[in-house]
Amino acid sequence: MSPTSGIIDLSIWQVAIALVLVLAIVVVSVHQSLGLERDLTIGTIRAIVQLYAVGLILAAVFAAAHWYWVLLILGVMTGVATQAAVSRLSKPLPGATWIAASALTISTAVTLAYVIGIVVQVRPWYEPQYIIPIAGMILGNSMTSAALAGDRLQSDLRSRSDEIEARLALGFSGREAVQPMVRASLRAAMIPTVNGMMTVGLVQLPGMMTGQILAGSSPLLAIRYQIVVVFMQGAATALGSLLFVRLAAGRYLTPAHQLQRYLL
Amino acid sequence: MKGTEQVLFSHDKFHRMGFLNNEREHKVNDLIFEIDHLSLAYPGGRGHSAIDILNDISFSVKRGGALTLVGPSGSGKSTVLRCLNRLVEPSSGTVRFDGRDTRSLDPRELRCRVALVMQTPVMFEGTVRDNLCIRPASARGDFSEGRLTTALDEVGLESKLLDRDAATLSGGEKQRVTIARALLRDPQALLLDEPTSALDPPNTFLVVETISRLRTTHALSIIAVTHQPDLVRRLGGNLLYLIKGRVEAFQSLDAADGALDGRLERFLAGEKVAGE
Repeated sequence: MSPTSGIIDLSIWQVAIALVLVLAIVVVSVHQSLGLERDLTIGTIRAIVQLYAVGLILAAVFAAAHWYWVLLILGVMTGVATQAAVSRLSKPLPGATWIAASALTISTAVTLAYVIGIVVQVRPWYEPQYIIPIAGMILGNSMTSAALAGDRLQSDLRSRSDEIEARLALGFSGREAVQPMVRASLRAAMIPTVNGMMTVGLVQLPGMMTGQILAGSSPLLAIRYQIVVVFMQGAATALGSLLFVRLAAGRYLTPAHQLQRYLL
Repeated sequence: MKGTEQVLFSHDKFHRMGFLNNEREHKVNDLIFEIDHLSLAYPGGRGHSAIDILNDISFSVKRGGALTLVGPSGSGKSTVLRCLNRLVEPSSGTVRFDGRDTRSLDPRELRCRVALVMQTPVMFEGTVRDNLCIRPASARGDFSEGRLTTALDEVGLESKLLDRDAATLSGGEKQRVTIARALLRDPQALLLDEPTSALDPPNTFLVVETISRLRTTHALSIIAVTHQPDLVRRLGGNLLYLIKGRVEAFQSLDAADGALDGRLERFLAGEKVAGE
Protein backbone atom coordinates (compact mmCIF):
# COMPACT_ATOMS: atom_id res chain seq x y z
CA MET A 1 0.00 0.00 0.00
CA SER A 2 1.45 3.34 -1.01
CA PRO A 3 1.53 6.17 1.54
CA THR A 4 -0.93 8.30 -0.43
CA SER A 5 -3.66 5.72 -0.87
CA GLY A 6 -5.11 6.35 2.59
CA ILE A 7 -5.60 4.28 5.68
CA ILE A 8 -5.91 0.48 5.86
CA ASP A 9 -9.53 -0.48 6.35
CA LEU A 10 -10.25 -1.98 9.77
CA SER A 11 -13.00 -4.60 9.81
CA ILE A 12 -15.15 -5.31 12.85
CA TRP A 13 -13.33 -8.67 13.16
CA GLN A 14 -9.98 -6.96 13.37
CA VAL A 15 -11.33 -4.77 16.20
CA ALA A 16 -12.57 -7.93 17.93
CA ILE A 17 -9.06 -9.37 17.72
CA ALA A 18 -7.82 -6.21 19.50
CA LEU A 19 -9.96 -7.25 22.48
CA VAL A 20 -7.21 -9.76 23.25
CA LEU A 21 -5.17 -6.76 24.45
CA VAL A 22 -7.76 -6.21 27.19
CA LEU A 23 -7.01 -9.75 28.36
CA ALA A 24 -3.54 -8.52 29.35
CA ILE A 25 -5.19 -6.21 31.90
CA VAL A 26 -7.43 -9.04 33.13
CA VAL A 27 -4.44 -11.33 33.62
CA VAL A 28 -2.51 -8.69 35.60
CA SER A 29 -5.59 -7.85 37.65
CA VAL A 30 -6.32 -11.49 38.54
CA HIS A 31 -2.70 -12.43 39.10
CA GLN A 32 -2.02 -9.46 41.39
CA SER A 33 -5.50 -9.54 43.01
CA LEU A 34 -6.24 -5.95 41.96
CA GLY A 35 -10.00 -6.55 41.85
CA LEU A 36 -10.32 -4.49 38.67
CA GLU A 37 -12.19 -7.13 36.62
CA ARG A 38 -15.65 -5.68 37.14
CA ASP A 39 -14.64 -2.08 36.34
CA LEU A 40 -12.62 -3.34 33.42
CA THR A 41 -15.61 -5.16 31.94
CA ILE A 42 -17.78 -2.08 32.32
CA GLY A 43 -14.99 0.12 30.93
CA THR A 44 -14.52 -2.10 27.89
CA ILE A 45 -18.22 -2.17 27.10
CA ARG A 46 -18.57 1.59 27.64
CA ALA A 47 -15.59 2.35 25.42
CA ILE A 48 -17.12 0.30 22.59
CA VAL A 49 -20.68 1.63 22.98
CA GLN A 50 -19.72 5.29 23.51
CA LEU A 51 -17.28 5.42 20.64
CA TYR A 52 -19.70 3.64 18.31
CA ALA A 53 -22.49 6.06 19.25
CA VAL A 54 -20.21 9.06 18.70
CA GLY A 55 -19.09 7.57 15.40
CA LEU A 56 -22.67 7.16 14.21
CA ILE A 57 -23.61 10.69 15.26
CA LEU A 58 -20.51 12.19 13.65
CA ALA A 59 -21.12 10.24 10.45
CA ALA A 60 -24.67 11.67 10.33
CA VAL A 61 -23.49 15.24 11.06
CA PHE A 62 -20.67 14.98 8.52
CA ALA A 63 -23.15 13.82 5.91
CA ALA A 64 -25.68 16.56 6.69
CA ALA A 65 -23.06 19.32 7.27
CA HIS A 66 -25.59 21.86 8.56
CA TRP A 67 -24.37 24.62 10.91
CA TYR A 68 -27.20 23.97 13.39
CA TRP A 69 -26.21 20.32 13.84
CA VAL A 70 -22.66 21.39 14.45
CA LEU A 71 -23.73 23.97 17.05
CA LEU A 72 -25.91 21.37 18.77
CA ILE A 73 -22.98 18.96 18.99
CA LEU A 74 -20.72 21.73 20.35
CA GLY A 75 -23.41 22.61 22.90
CA VAL A 76 -23.67 19.02 24.13
CA MET A 77 -19.87 18.76 24.33
CA THR A 78 -19.73 21.97 26.40
CA GLY A 79 -22.47 20.68 28.70
CA VAL A 80 -20.64 17.44 29.37
CA ALA A 81 -17.34 19.28 29.92
CA THR A 82 -19.07 21.69 32.33
CA GLN A 83 -20.45 18.84 34.42
CA ALA A 84 -17.07 17.10 34.46
CA ALA A 85 -15.27 20.27 35.58
CA VAL A 86 -17.82 21.00 38.34
CA SER A 87 -17.79 17.44 39.64
CA ARG A 88 -14.07 17.73 40.33
CA LEU A 89 -14.51 20.54 42.88
CA SER A 90 -13.95 19.10 46.35
CA LYS A 91 -16.73 21.19 47.89
CA PRO A 92 -19.82 22.38 45.99
CA LEU A 93 -19.77 26.08 45.19
CA PRO A 94 -23.10 27.84 44.61
CA GLY A 95 -23.38 28.76 40.95
CA ALA A 96 -20.44 26.54 39.97
CA THR A 97 -22.30 25.17 36.96
CA TRP A 98 -22.87 28.63 35.51
CA ILE A 99 -19.33 29.69 36.28
CA ALA A 100 -17.90 26.60 34.55
CA ALA A 101 -20.32 26.92 31.62
CA SER A 102 -19.37 30.58 31.08
CA ALA A 103 -15.65 29.96 31.44
CA LEU A 104 -15.68 26.98 29.04
CA THR A 105 -18.00 28.58 26.49
CA ILE A 106 -16.09 31.85 26.31
CA SER A 107 -12.59 30.33 26.29
CA THR A 108 -13.57 27.72 23.70
CA ALA A 109 -15.48 30.17 21.49
CA VAL A 110 -12.63 32.70 21.40
CA THR A 111 -9.90 30.11 20.74
CA LEU A 112 -12.02 28.18 18.23
CA ALA A 113 -13.01 31.30 16.29
CA TYR A 114 -9.37 32.32 15.99
CA VAL A 115 -8.14 28.89 14.89
CA ILE A 116 -11.00 28.12 12.50
CA GLY A 117 -11.53 31.62 11.13
CA ILE A 118 -8.05 33.12 11.01
CA VAL A 119 -5.38 30.39 11.34
CA VAL A 120 -6.71 27.40 9.41
CA GLN A 121 -9.32 29.43 7.47
CA VAL A 122 -11.89 26.67 7.21
CA ARG A 123 -14.66 27.51 4.73
CA PRO A 124 -17.52 27.15 5.52
CA TRP A 125 -16.65 27.66 9.20
CA TYR A 126 -18.95 24.85 10.32
CA GLU A 127 -17.18 22.17 8.24
CA PRO A 128 -17.66 19.33 10.79
CA GLN A 129 -14.47 17.50 9.83
CA TYR A 130 -12.45 20.45 11.21
CA ILE A 131 -14.57 22.21 13.78
CA ILE A 132 -15.68 19.21 15.84
CA PRO A 133 -12.29 17.60 16.54
CA ILE A 134 -10.64 20.99 17.07
CA ALA A 135 -13.41 22.15 19.40
CA GLY A 136 -13.06 18.86 21.29
CA MET A 137 -9.37 19.42 21.88
CA ILE A 138 -9.88 23.02 23.00
CA LEU A 139 -12.77 22.11 25.28
CA GLY A 140 -10.84 19.22 26.80
CA ASN A 141 -7.96 21.51 27.72
CA SER A 142 -10.23 24.26 29.08
CA MET A 143 -12.11 21.70 31.14
CA THR A 144 -9.02 20.08 32.65
CA SER A 145 -7.36 23.38 33.46
CA ALA A 146 -10.53 24.96 34.86
CA ALA A 147 -11.09 21.94 37.13
CA LEU A 148 -7.44 21.91 38.20
CA ALA A 149 -7.43 25.65 38.90
CA GLY A 150 -10.80 25.57 40.65
CA ASP A 151 -9.82 22.72 42.92
CA ARG A 152 -6.54 24.39 43.82
CA LEU A 153 -8.31 27.71 44.42
CA GLN A 154 -10.78 26.11 46.82
CA SER A 155 -8.13 24.34 48.83
CA ASP A 156 -5.90 27.45 48.93
CA LEU A 157 -8.74 29.74 49.99
CA ARG A 158 -9.58 27.27 52.75
CA SER A 159 -6.05 26.71 54.02
CA ARG A 160 -5.03 30.35 53.68
CA SER A 161 -8.23 32.04 54.87
CA ASP A 162 -6.40 33.66 57.82
CA GLU A 163 -3.98 35.23 55.39
CA ILE A 164 -6.87 36.55 53.26
CA GLU A 165 -8.60 38.03 56.28
CA ALA A 166 -5.31 39.52 57.47
CA ARG A 167 -5.02 41.32 54.13
CA LEU A 168 -8.65 42.45 54.24
CA ALA A 169 -8.10 43.70 57.79
CA LEU A 170 -5.15 45.75 56.52
CA GLY A 171 -7.39 47.56 54.04
CA PHE A 172 -6.91 45.46 50.92
CA SER A 173 -9.85 44.95 48.56
CA GLY A 174 -11.31 41.46 48.26
CA ARG A 175 -9.77 41.06 44.83
CA GLU A 176 -6.33 42.12 46.08
CA ALA A 177 -6.63 39.84 49.11
CA VAL A 178 -7.22 36.67 47.06
CA GLN A 179 -4.75 37.57 44.29
CA PRO A 180 -1.94 35.33 45.68
CA MET A 181 -4.32 32.34 45.72
CA VAL A 182 -5.63 33.16 42.24
CA ARG A 183 -2.06 33.32 40.98
CA ALA A 184 -1.11 30.00 42.63
CA SER A 185 -4.10 28.20 41.13
CA LEU A 186 -3.45 29.61 37.65
CA ARG A 187 0.16 28.45 37.86
CA ALA A 188 -0.98 24.98 38.98
CA ALA A 189 -3.39 24.79 36.03
CA MET A 190 -0.97 26.08 33.41
CA ILE A 191 2.27 24.34 34.40
CA PRO A 192 1.29 20.93 32.90
CA THR A 193 0.50 22.60 29.56
CA VAL A 194 3.71 24.61 29.52
CA ASN A 195 5.72 21.51 30.49
CA GLY A 196 3.89 19.56 27.81
CA MET A 197 5.12 22.07 25.21
CA MET A 198 8.71 21.29 26.24
CA THR A 199 8.52 17.58 25.43
CA VAL A 200 5.88 17.47 22.71
CA GLY A 201 6.81 14.99 19.99
CA LEU A 202 9.89 13.71 21.83
CA VAL A 203 8.26 11.00 23.93
CA GLN A 204 5.12 10.18 22.02
CA LEU A 205 3.46 11.65 19.00
CA PRO A 206 0.38 13.65 19.88
CA GLY A 207 -2.93 11.96 19.07
CA MET A 208 -3.98 14.30 16.32
CA MET A 209 -0.61 14.07 14.57
CA THR A 210 -0.69 10.27 14.85
CA GLY A 211 -4.14 10.26 13.32
CA GLN A 212 -3.14 12.50 10.46
CA ILE A 213 -0.02 10.47 9.67
CA LEU A 214 -2.02 7.23 9.78
CA ALA A 215 -4.58 8.81 7.47
CA GLY A 216 -1.82 9.45 4.95
CA SER A 217 -0.88 13.10 5.56
CA SER A 218 2.73 14.05 5.17
CA PRO A 219 4.49 14.34 8.53
CA LEU A 220 5.42 17.92 7.63
CA LEU A 221 1.78 18.91 7.23
CA ALA A 222 0.90 16.94 10.37
CA ILE A 223 3.46 18.83 12.47
CA ARG A 224 2.20 22.17 11.20
CA TYR A 225 -1.27 21.25 12.41
CA GLN A 226 0.21 19.96 15.62
CA ILE A 227 2.05 23.23 16.29
CA VAL A 228 -1.24 25.10 15.88
CA VAL A 229 -2.87 22.58 18.23
CA VAL A 230 -0.19 23.05 20.90
CA PHE A 231 -0.58 26.83 20.84
CA MET A 232 -4.35 26.58 20.76
CA GLN A 233 -4.36 24.23 23.75
CA GLY A 234 -2.13 26.67 25.61
CA ALA A 235 -4.54 29.53 24.92
CA ALA A 236 -7.55 27.42 25.93
CA THR A 237 -5.82 26.42 29.16
CA ALA A 238 -4.95 30.00 30.06
CA LEU A 239 -8.34 31.47 29.16
CA GLY A 240 -10.39 28.65 30.68
CA SER A 241 -8.56 28.63 34.01
CA LEU A 242 -8.37 32.43 34.25
CA LEU A 243 -12.11 32.89 33.65
CA PHE A 244 -13.06 30.06 35.97
CA VAL A 245 -10.78 31.17 38.81
CA ARG A 246 -11.75 34.85 38.54
CA LEU A 247 -15.47 34.07 38.53
CA ALA A 248 -15.16 31.45 41.28
CA ALA A 249 -13.00 33.67 43.52
CA GLY A 250 -15.65 36.35 43.14
CA ARG A 251 -18.26 33.98 44.60
CA TYR A 252 -16.31 33.75 47.85
CA LEU A 253 -16.16 37.54 48.19
CA THR A 254 -18.83 40.16 48.81
CA PRO A 255 -18.99 43.73 47.46
CA ALA A 256 -18.05 44.86 51.00
CA HIS A 257 -14.69 43.05 50.63
CA GLN A 258 -15.58 40.15 52.91
CA LEU A 259 -14.52 36.51 52.62
CA GLN A 260 -17.56 34.23 52.92
CA ARG A 261 -15.88 31.63 55.09
CA TYR A 262 -18.94 29.43 55.40
CA LEU A 263 -18.71 28.64 51.67
CA LEU A 264 -15.23 27.20 52.10
CA MET B 1 -9.78 55.33 83.39
CA LYS B 2 -11.42 54.39 86.64
CA GLY B 3 -14.81 55.98 87.13
CA THR B 4 -14.78 57.63 83.74
CA GLU B 5 -15.31 54.36 81.94
CA GLN B 6 -18.86 53.94 80.85
CA VAL B 7 -20.01 51.34 78.44
CA LEU B 8 -23.67 51.52 77.67
CA PHE B 9 -25.66 48.59 76.79
CA SER B 10 -29.20 48.24 75.58
CA HIS B 11 -29.81 44.59 76.29
CA ASP B 12 -32.97 43.85 78.33
CA LYS B 13 -30.96 42.98 81.39
CA PHE B 14 -29.17 46.24 81.11
CA HIS B 15 -32.41 48.19 80.99
CA ARG B 16 -33.42 46.46 84.17
CA MET B 17 -30.14 47.61 85.64
CA GLY B 18 -31.38 51.16 85.22
CA PHE B 19 -29.63 52.49 82.12
CA LEU B 20 -32.10 54.56 80.19
CA ASN B 21 -32.15 55.56 76.56
CA ASN B 22 -32.05 59.31 77.20
CA GLU B 23 -28.88 58.85 79.18
CA ARG B 24 -27.50 57.09 76.15
CA GLU B 25 -28.34 59.89 73.76
CA HIS B 26 -26.30 62.66 75.28
CA LYS B 27 -23.33 60.35 75.64
CA VAL B 28 -23.36 59.58 71.92
CA ASN B 29 -20.40 61.74 70.98
CA ASP B 30 -18.20 59.99 73.47
CA LEU B 31 -18.91 56.59 71.99
CA ILE B 32 -16.58 54.96 69.51
CA PHE B 33 -18.78 51.90 68.99
CA GLU B 34 -22.54 51.47 69.31
CA ILE B 35 -23.82 48.02 68.58
CA ASP B 36 -27.58 47.66 68.32
CA HIS B 37 -29.53 44.39 68.22
CA LEU B 38 -26.83 42.60 66.29
CA SER B 39 -27.80 39.17 64.99
CA LEU B 40 -26.04 36.88 62.58
CA ALA B 41 -27.07 33.59 61.03
CA TYR B 42 -25.28 31.66 58.33
CA PRO B 43 -27.41 30.00 55.68
CA GLY B 44 -27.56 26.25 56.33
CA GLY B 45 -26.69 23.77 53.62
CA ARG B 46 -29.32 22.27 51.36
CA GLY B 47 -32.36 21.30 53.42
CA HIS B 48 -30.81 22.59 56.65
CA SER B 49 -32.03 25.56 58.62
CA ALA B 50 -29.85 28.61 59.16
CA ILE B 51 -27.21 28.45 61.89
CA ASP B 52 -27.53 31.18 64.52
CA ILE B 53 -24.19 32.67 65.49
CA LEU B 54 -25.19 35.92 67.22
CA ASN B 55 -28.51 36.76 68.77
CA ASP B 56 -29.65 40.30 69.53
CA ILE B 57 -26.43 41.67 70.93
CA SER B 58 -26.24 45.32 71.98
CA PHE B 59 -23.47 47.20 73.70
CA SER B 60 -21.34 50.26 73.26
CA VAL B 61 -17.75 51.25 73.88
CA LYS B 62 -16.60 54.66 74.97
CA ARG B 63 -13.87 56.47 73.06
CA GLY B 64 -10.58 55.37 74.59
CA GLY B 65 -12.41 52.66 76.53
CA ALA B 66 -11.80 48.96 76.78
CA LEU B 67 -14.13 46.01 76.47
CA THR B 68 -13.26 42.37 76.92
CA LEU B 69 -15.38 39.63 75.43
CA VAL B 70 -15.36 36.36 77.30
CA GLY B 71 -17.27 33.14 76.94
CA PRO B 72 -16.90 29.50 75.95
CA SER B 73 -15.58 28.61 72.51
CA GLY B 74 -18.24 28.90 69.88
CA SER B 75 -20.08 31.63 71.79
CA GLY B 76 -19.57 34.14 68.98
CA LYS B 77 -16.84 36.33 70.51
CA SER B 78 -14.64 36.40 67.42
CA THR B 79 -17.67 36.97 65.22
CA VAL B 80 -18.67 40.04 67.25
CA LEU B 81 -15.15 41.37 66.72
CA ARG B 82 -15.38 40.72 62.98
CA CYS B 83 -18.68 42.56 62.80
CA LEU B 84 -16.99 45.65 64.23
CA ASN B 85 -14.59 46.03 61.28
CA ARG B 86 -17.16 44.48 58.93
CA LEU B 87 -15.14 41.41 58.02
CA VAL B 88 -18.47 39.64 58.43
CA GLU B 89 -21.89 41.04 57.66
CA PRO B 90 -24.56 40.87 60.38
CA SER B 91 -27.96 39.52 59.32
CA SER B 92 -29.66 42.33 61.23
CA GLY B 93 -28.86 45.14 63.60
CA THR B 94 -26.42 47.99 63.24
CA VAL B 95 -22.81 48.74 64.10
CA ARG B 96 -22.00 52.42 64.45
CA PHE B 97 -18.39 53.51 64.49
CA ASP B 98 -17.58 57.07 65.50
CA GLY B 99 -21.24 57.98 65.11
CA ARG B 100 -21.67 56.50 61.62
CA ASP B 101 -23.28 53.28 60.47
CA THR B 102 -20.37 51.13 59.27
CA ARG B 103 -22.37 50.27 56.14
CA SER B 104 -22.01 53.90 55.04
CA LEU B 105 -18.19 53.70 55.22
CA ASP B 106 -15.78 52.15 52.73
CA PRO B 107 -14.92 48.83 54.44
CA ARG B 108 -11.24 49.26 53.52
CA GLU B 109 -11.12 52.67 55.22
CA LEU B 110 -13.02 51.32 58.22
CA ARG B 111 -10.55 48.45 58.62
CA CYS B 112 -7.59 50.83 58.76
CA ARG B 113 -9.32 52.88 61.46
CA VAL B 114 -10.44 49.75 63.32
CA ALA B 115 -7.41 47.48 63.19
CA LEU B 116 -7.69 43.75 63.87
CA VAL B 117 -4.97 41.65 65.45
CA MET B 118 -5.72 37.99 64.93
CA GLN B 119 -5.21 34.98 67.16
CA THR B 120 -2.51 33.44 65.00
CA PRO B 121 -0.13 36.10 63.71
CA VAL B 122 -0.06 36.08 59.91
CA MET B 123 3.35 36.87 58.46
CA PHE B 124 3.54 37.49 54.74
CA GLU B 125 6.54 36.43 52.68
CA GLY B 126 9.51 38.74 53.11
CA THR B 127 11.23 40.71 55.82
CA VAL B 128 9.77 42.35 58.90
CA ARG B 129 9.96 45.62 56.94
CA ASP B 130 7.89 44.10 54.11
CA ASN B 131 5.38 42.93 56.68
CA LEU B 132 5.08 46.35 58.29
CA CYS B 133 4.81 48.19 54.98
CA ILE B 134 2.34 45.87 53.27
CA ARG B 135 -0.58 47.95 52.04
CA PRO B 136 -2.84 48.38 49.04
CA ALA B 137 -1.37 50.52 46.26
CA SER B 138 -3.95 53.22 46.96
CA ALA B 139 -3.19 53.45 50.69
CA ARG B 140 -1.88 56.62 52.24
CA GLY B 141 0.17 56.82 55.41
CA ASP B 142 3.65 57.33 56.75
CA PHE B 143 5.84 54.28 56.26
CA SER B 144 9.18 56.06 56.59
CA GLU B 145 12.17 54.39 58.24
CA GLY B 146 11.72 56.51 61.35
CA ARG B 147 8.09 55.59 61.65
CA LEU B 148 8.83 51.85 61.28
CA THR B 149 11.50 52.06 63.98
CA THR B 150 9.09 53.88 66.30
CA ALA B 151 6.37 51.32 65.65
CA LEU B 152 8.73 48.44 66.48
CA ASP B 153 9.96 50.26 69.55
CA GLU B 154 6.38 50.73 70.75
CA VAL B 155 5.83 46.98 70.76
CA GLY B 156 9.18 46.35 72.42
CA LEU B 157 11.12 45.16 69.37
CA GLU B 158 14.49 46.44 68.16
CA SER B 159 14.84 48.16 64.80
CA LYS B 160 17.57 45.71 63.71
CA LEU B 161 14.72 43.21 63.23
CA LEU B 162 13.54 45.21 60.20
CA ASP B 163 15.65 43.23 57.78
CA ARG B 164 15.04 39.81 59.34
CA ASP B 165 13.04 37.26 57.39
CA ALA B 166 9.64 37.41 59.10
CA ALA B 167 9.34 33.61 59.00
CA THR B 168 12.28 33.27 61.42
CA LEU B 169 10.67 35.29 64.24
CA SER B 170 9.38 33.65 67.41
CA GLY B 171 5.63 33.48 68.04
CA GLY B 172 5.76 36.42 70.45
CA GLU B 173 7.80 38.54 68.05
CA LYS B 174 5.40 37.77 65.20
CA GLN B 175 2.42 38.77 67.32
CA ARG B 176 4.11 42.04 68.27
CA VAL B 177 4.96 42.71 64.61
CA THR B 178 1.26 42.30 63.75
CA ILE B 179 0.40 44.82 66.48
CA ALA B 180 3.03 47.25 65.11
CA ARG B 181 1.60 46.69 61.62
CA ALA B 182 -1.86 47.59 62.90
CA LEU B 183 -0.53 50.72 64.67
CA LEU B 184 1.09 51.99 61.46
CA ARG B 185 -2.43 52.46 60.06
CA ASP B 186 -3.10 55.02 62.82
CA PRO B 187 -6.19 53.21 64.06
CA GLN B 188 -8.69 54.69 66.49
CA ALA B 189 -9.62 51.28 67.78
CA LEU B 190 -7.79 48.00 68.14
CA LEU B 191 -9.62 44.67 67.93
CA LEU B 192 -7.68 41.84 69.54
CA ASP B 193 -8.79 38.27 68.86
CA GLU B 194 -7.13 36.13 71.55
CA PRO B 195 -3.79 37.85 70.94
CA THR B 196 -1.93 35.76 73.51
CA SER B 197 -3.47 32.33 73.07
CA ALA B 198 -0.69 31.05 70.81
CA LEU B 199 2.07 32.33 73.09
CA ASP B 200 4.09 30.92 75.99
CA PRO B 201 3.94 32.71 79.38
CA PRO B 202 6.97 35.05 78.92
CA ASN B 203 5.71 36.16 75.49
CA THR B 204 2.17 36.47 76.81
CA PHE B 205 3.48 38.80 79.50
CA LEU B 206 5.29 40.94 76.92
CA VAL B 207 2.25 41.20 74.65
CA VAL B 208 -0.08 42.02 77.56
CA GLU B 209 2.35 44.74 78.68
CA THR B 210 2.55 46.12 75.16
CA ILE B 211 -1.22 46.26 74.68
CA SER B 212 -2.02 47.89 78.00
CA ARG B 213 0.72 50.49 77.48
CA LEU B 214 -0.53 51.30 73.96
CA ARG B 215 -4.03 51.83 75.23
CA THR B 216 -2.87 54.79 77.28
CA THR B 217 -0.12 56.17 74.99
CA HIS B 218 -2.27 56.08 71.83
CA ALA B 219 -5.65 56.73 73.49
CA LEU B 220 -6.82 53.63 71.66
CA SER B 221 -10.18 52.04 72.20
CA ILE B 222 -9.58 48.34 72.69
CA ILE B 223 -12.00 45.49 72.23
CA ALA B 224 -10.40 42.18 73.07
CA VAL B 225 -11.40 38.54 73.04
CA THR B 226 -9.22 36.80 75.57
CA HIS B 227 -8.98 33.92 77.98
CA GLN B 228 -6.05 35.61 79.67
CA PRO B 229 -7.06 37.02 83.09
CA ASP B 230 -3.89 39.16 83.19
CA LEU B 231 -4.89 40.97 80.04
CA VAL B 232 -8.44 41.52 81.30
CA ARG B 233 -7.16 43.02 84.55
CA ARG B 234 -4.58 45.20 82.81
CA LEU B 235 -7.10 46.54 80.31
CA GLY B 236 -9.84 47.26 82.82
CA GLY B 237 -12.98 48.64 81.24
CA ASN B 238 -15.87 46.26 80.88
CA LEU B 239 -16.50 42.58 80.50
CA LEU B 240 -19.13 41.14 78.20
CA TYR B 241 -19.94 37.51 78.77
CA LEU B 242 -21.36 35.65 75.79
CA ILE B 243 -22.91 32.20 75.67
CA LYS B 244 -24.26 30.73 72.42
CA GLY B 245 -24.32 34.11 70.74
CA ARG B 246 -26.31 35.82 73.50
CA VAL B 247 -25.22 38.32 76.12
CA GLU B 248 -25.21 36.46 79.42
CA ALA B 249 -23.66 39.10 81.66
CA PHE B 250 -22.09 42.50 81.50
CA GLN B 251 -19.82 43.94 84.14
CA SER B 252 -17.63 46.95 84.71
CA LEU B 253 -14.19 46.08 86.06
CA ASP B 254 -13.75 49.67 87.19
CA ALA B 255 -16.92 49.83 89.29
CA ALA B 256 -16.20 51.09 92.79
CA ASP B 257 -18.20 48.33 94.46
CA GLY B 258 -16.22 45.75 92.52
CA ALA B 259 -18.92 43.12 92.98
CA LEU B 260 -18.29 40.79 90.09
CA ASP B 261 -20.65 38.24 88.67
CA GLY B 262 -19.65 34.90 90.14
CA ARG B 263 -18.89 33.34 86.77
CA LEU B 264 -16.66 36.25 85.78
CA GLU B 265 -14.96 36.15 89.15
CA ARG B 266 -14.14 32.50 88.60
CA PHE B 267 -12.95 33.30 85.09
CA LEU B 268 -10.62 36.00 86.39
CA ALA B 269 -9.33 33.64 89.04
CA GLY B 270 -8.09 31.52 86.18
CA GLU B 271 -10.81 28.90 86.06
CA LYS B 272 -12.35 27.86 82.81
CA VAL B 273 -15.55 29.68 81.95
CA ALA B 274 -18.71 27.70 82.62
CA GLY B 275 -19.83 25.72 79.62
CA GLU B 276 -16.36 25.36 78.19
